[in-house]
Amino acid sequence: MKQVYLDYQSAKPVDLKVMEGMMKYFHESFGNPSSLHHVGDVATDALEESRKKIAGFINADEDEIIFTSGATEAINLGIIGYALRNKKKGNHIIISEIEHISIHNIAKYLEREGFTISKVPVDQFGKVSLRKLEQRITDKTILISIGMASNEIGTIQPTSEIGKLAAEKGIAFHTDAVAAEGLVPIDVKKDNINLMALSSNDLYGPRGVGVMYMQKKYRVNPIIIGGGQERGFRSGSEDIPGIVGMRFAAEIMQKEMNTEIKRFQEYRDRMIKQVLDEVPDSHLNGHPKDRLASNAHFRFDGIEGESILLSFKDLGISVSTGSACTSKTLEPSHTLIATGLLHEEAHGSLQLTAGRFSTDDDIDIVLEAVPKVVSRLRELSPIYKTK
Amino acid sequence: MKSTKYSEKVLDHFRNPRNVGTLEGDDVAVGKVGNPTCGDIMEVFIRIDGDVITDAKFRTFGCGSAIATTSMTTEMVKGMTLDEAMELTRQDVADELDGLPPIKMHCSNLAADALHEAIKSYRKGRGEDVPEENEKVKEEVECLIGKDEFLNKGLYLNVEDINEFKDRRTLILYSGDESVETAINISEVSERVILLTPDETLVLNPDLAEKLASSGVKVLYQSKLLEIRGEFEVEKVLIFNIDEDEDYELFVDAVVIIE
Repeated sequence: MKQVYLDYQSAKPVDLKVMEGMMKYFHESFGNPSSLHHVGDVATDALEESRKKIAGFINADEDEIIFTSGATEAINLGIIGYALRNKKKGNHIIISEIEHISIHNIAKYLEREGFTISKVPVDQFGKVSLRKLEQRITDKTILISIGMASNEIGTIQPTSEIGKLAAEKGIAFHTDAVAAEGLVPIDVKKDNINLMALSSNDLYGPRGVGVMYMQKKYRVNPIIIGGGQERGFRSGSEDIPGIVGMRFAAEIMQKEMNTEIKRFQEYRDRMIKQVLDEVPDSHLNGHPKDRLASNAHFRFDGIEGESILLSFKDLGISVSTGSACTSKTLEPSHTLIATGLLHEEAHGSLQLTAGRFSTDDDIDIVLEAVPKVVSRLRELSPIYKTK
Repeated sequence: MKSTKYSEKVLDHFRNPRNVGTLEGDDVAVGKVGNPTCGDIMEVFIRIDGDVITDAKFRTFGCGSAIATTSMTTEMVKGMTLDEAMELTRQDVADELDGLPPIKMHCSNLAADALHEAIKSYRKGRGEDVPEENEKVKEEVECLIGKDEFLNKGLYLNVEDINEFKDRRTLILYSGDESVETAINISEVSERVILLTPDETLVLNPDLAEKLASSGVKVLYQSKLLEIRGEFEVEKVLIFNIDEDEDYELFVDAVVIIE
């Protein structure tokens, strides 16, 4: 059976060209950048060249890039590190209701450490309201963290406007760019971004590598203490093959991005139109226009997401859902709830995310399967009544 | 164990559920458990001849294990006496399916409970003495918190200009025909209009009922508004579900209470 993968938001395959570029650094050029001999110098060159290229990808300067073990660590360092370093200035932090779960959990941690967290609501399409954001700013606010785009429903936030507002108010602006990177052009200078998290895998690089961008004059407390690598902000010997991988991934992305976005948009718009046309009582989650090119997110009345996912699994199709039954907590997606859905509505969700290796065929196969799967599950359902 | 890692038997019952459907007749009893909020609803129908279950059918809204456990339950009970069926436990059903992931043992394995509900209702219907467990006394909640605070901040006591509600998620309390008409009107400018009523059904004239059914208004029955919440204006509401005896938050932008 042909396998179809439309869950690029969850994980992306590493680009083969990236893997080729990394190989040398496992055995041949294996040095530690902290060593002062030739072998160490080769590693330093690879590290610094990578830093430069990745900085270029987001229009940052080289000394604003700090390598981490992934986006989660970058987010921890950016938010916790900044909060702890600046707690004398204030103890209030603003996030949105639809941040990635890692940010909600960091917020809970900071609340236990004595910080106050406000969450900005979003509209029915998942967009943060600037007016409501501004209402929440107090003289104790030190940090605003709002993700560039939703990892679930794909809604793109007004990052530039948020950055401008934060700058006017003299508040640091952190953004989790993981869902957006590679799908939205990132320019940290233009958008007034002070702190930002990136992952390597979302650029088709290896997992286990990420970047915290930290604008000059902004400082964080390190959360990993050790030998003082990355100017003391992130200790631990650098993962040179991984970092080089992220660099190649960023370079390829920079070249391919515009073409890819156009291709994904075609897939997305075709999926949205056809599913809404062919499946009765189906709805689009997220924003009708301002959404990631790769993201189509639906909900179907009267059925549950995990059974949709299992049915697709039997057809060789890998997709995602916001259903509680697939989560660790058995709670439905906080993002869907924040857009105003009832629990039973949030349960019937289907997330399709295309990526670099998706084909027209993949989209055809999924589009053929969706109406069949939905109607079979509806036949079983006591709460779906045909109108 | 991954929450979606199922045994072959579970997957078989998910893919080919046995006994899907409903039963009708004087010798049929129905049991229903679960609620859409927690993600599973199961209905079990049994046909009873004397003291023996002769047929069983089901309908389920829920995840893979919810579908599989209900299917298996209907297979297991055919031919059982009512007493035997009352003894059937969630664990028996799970064992027969070669086990369930631990996280699914509770919420998705309510089929045995639905069966017991059906038997109890059958016995009650025949005037037999059935012990009642956990009969909850439902508190009447009359006082709405936040009503004064949010007046003119997203809370409306009358609607003059429908366009003020454009693209705003709006909650309307049912208070007669006018509230229904208002809900239908607002649904012309907003995709998300919810009409809240504590009753099980709405008694409307056929014309208005028809209009409501064909509008985009979503009706929440057996529901009460407990509290309006928000930092500076209406941002969410706390709703109490009378049937399930539980409350939950819903994000909205406006609340309309026509008195």
